[in-house]
Amino acid sequence: MSTFELRVGGRQVDPMEASELAWLDRRRGIARLADGTIALVEGSGSEWTVTLRGRRIAVQVLTARERILAVAESGEAAHAGPLDITATLPGLIVAVEVSPGDEVQAGTPLVTIEAMKMQNEVRAPRAGTVGGIAVEAGQTVATGALLLRLESPAAR
Amino acid sequence: MSVAPPFHRLVVANRGEIAVRVMRACRELGIESVALYSDADRDALHVRAADRAERIGPAAAGESYLSIPAVVEAALRSGADALHPGYGFLSENGAFARAVIDAGLAFVGPAPATLAALGDKLAARRLVAEAGVPVVPGLMVPLTEDEMDLEAVGFPALLKAAAGGGGRGMRRVDSPREVGPALATARREAMAAFGDGTVYAERLVSPARHVEVQLLGDRHGTLATLGERDCSVQRRHQKLVEESPSPAVTPEIRAALMESARRVAGTVEFENAATVEFLLDADGNHYFLEMNTRLQVEHGVTELVTGLDLVSWQIRIAAGEAMGDEVLAAAPRGHAIEARVYAEDPYDGFRPVAGAVSTWEMPAGPGVRVDAGVEAGTRLRPEYDPLLAKLLVHAADRPAAVSRLRRALDETLIGGVQTDLGFHRWLVDETGFGAGSYDTSLVADRWGRGPDLTPEEMDLAAAAARDARLAAAPAERSASLGASPVESAWATQARRDGIDR
Repeated sequence: MSTFELRVGGRQVDPMEASELAWLDRRRGIARLADGTIALVEGSGSEWTVTLRGRRIAVQVLTARERILAVAESGEAAHAGPLDITATLPGLIVAVEVSPGDEVQAGTPLVTIEAMKMQNEVRAPRAGTVGGIAVEAGQTVATGALLLRLESPAAR
Repeated sequence: MSVAPPFHRLVVANRGEIAVRVMRACRELGIESVALYSDADRDALHVRAADRAERIGPAAAGESYLSIPAVVEAALRSGADALHPGYGFLSENGAFARAVIDAGLAFVGPAPATLAALGDKLAARRLVAEAGVPVVPGLMVPLTEDEMDLEAVGFPALLKAAAGGGGRGMRRVDSPREVGPALATARREAMAAFGDGTVYAERLVSPARHVEVQLLGDRHGTLATLGERDCSVQRRHQKLVEESPSPAVTPEIRAALMESARRVAGTVEFENAATVEFLLDADGNHYFLEMNTRLQVEHGVTELVTGLDLVSWQIRIAAGEAMGDEVLAAAPRGHAIEARVYAEDPYDGFRPVAGAVSTWEMPAGPGVRVDAGVEAGTRLRPEYDPLLAKLLVHAADRPAAVSRLRRALDETLIGGVQTDLGFHRWLVDETGFGAGSYDTSLVADRWGRGPDLTPEEMDLAAAAARDARLAAAPAERSASLGASPVESAWATQARRDGIDR
């Protein structure tokens, strides 16, 4: 009997208990879903990814204990404190567009990373003041590497 | 072929799916193939597809696949008598072609002088306009920081790299104040991609379709125009889907396109394979964009409708063979579509993604062709292009081809990384695409960041994940589901069958 809480994109979903899912290759996570689609299910523990018609859908499957922990974490993240901007893909830093102390709006380009021969602009997810910058042009970064810290917007 | 192979040993100066594609042609022609690999590609599919392999340097493309000395030295070491550059990397570099020829190898592609003349897109614009072919209105000289006035060109305008290709160094500008920042970015991107920061500007033709003509020319002065491909489904000015024939091209437009393509080829002493790209506006007028003096990613679309092996012909032409009726009288048959499979997230602006491919199940069956450069377990490298594979279908007509592509996409399963398969699956059901009425704005206007997940999709995904966790319970096995690439059940069975025999 499942007591899991299911979340897709942060939203709780509650599918019918009796799913008509048929595992075709359990080891690789290949299943035929209730609507006849062949899907790929990958993951472990509470973090899963279901590839449905080419789209990867992140699903959290949480036990009661994991649910309590998740609630506590999301409460902390809600504070509008400093925000660390990290690289979402590995690559070469080709330009740092801002300097410490710059006031930026949501969408302001911060850093340009070249990956797979494309220039990718990392933009500010919200308004704020640029704090410390951890990278410089010419440097190679890995996924998750700290690029810079965005402080709360200056009080006016 | 019953005759002697055109070459003894051929170096493929590329990686990924196109390297594998060229090696297949070599095998069929009885030519030994040589793979070149960087340290990142030691175990890559293209190394295994070749008869021999030579290391060319570290992972960074500039020190390996883009290094003329490294590639030429490796080619000499291998004892090859020919070199195929594939597409991208050094394929359109005249100095490279010259170095290959000076090293005593045949270069499978147009002559160095042709590459030089048409490699500079700005010079090519001038050359082609003089030959009486319409070009997109715009600058005939470089755009510089001192001279950024685009009033004469008009807005919106498109900044383009003179050494460009593949959408790199290209930026749209909608107003005068955007020109400065866009020029800086375009320059930087062009410099990084091509080592040349020259940028020019053209008026943005919109709505427009991107239609191109495939050419083959031999050393004996024979030129074949092998129909058109419609490449209007693009993101960031890079193609995602190509088809032939184009739903927008009437016999009259086709005749005009072929005539213009012939004129473009006539501006140089043309030999081997090339593609002339045009924009087609809503009134059926066409404008020359550029000539790509190499094999295109989407060459397979033309192969399917003409029945010709373009790579094989490239190699035969490079050996001096003359094209006969097999090429000149090739009548196009049916309809072909290609969907490019990229390691990109179409739900996040087609951002390239990193990671490793876990499950890799490709479609098969009637009228389906897959050209792939990766397999289960391949770790994707940020240094290289994110193209994983090309799914091609061929059928009697366009509706049947779209239906076949839908079926092929439903058979495809890729795990480990987000790909653009979700976009392709959406596209085959999109009304405009189904009707053949779309232009280069399709991705931006109709896809955007893709449709929101429906409640049904969320339920399906959530139920599947729950079932998967339940299956992993109660022990919460450390070995997680689908995390490690494993061979398919068919492969396992085939091996057992082999042992039993």
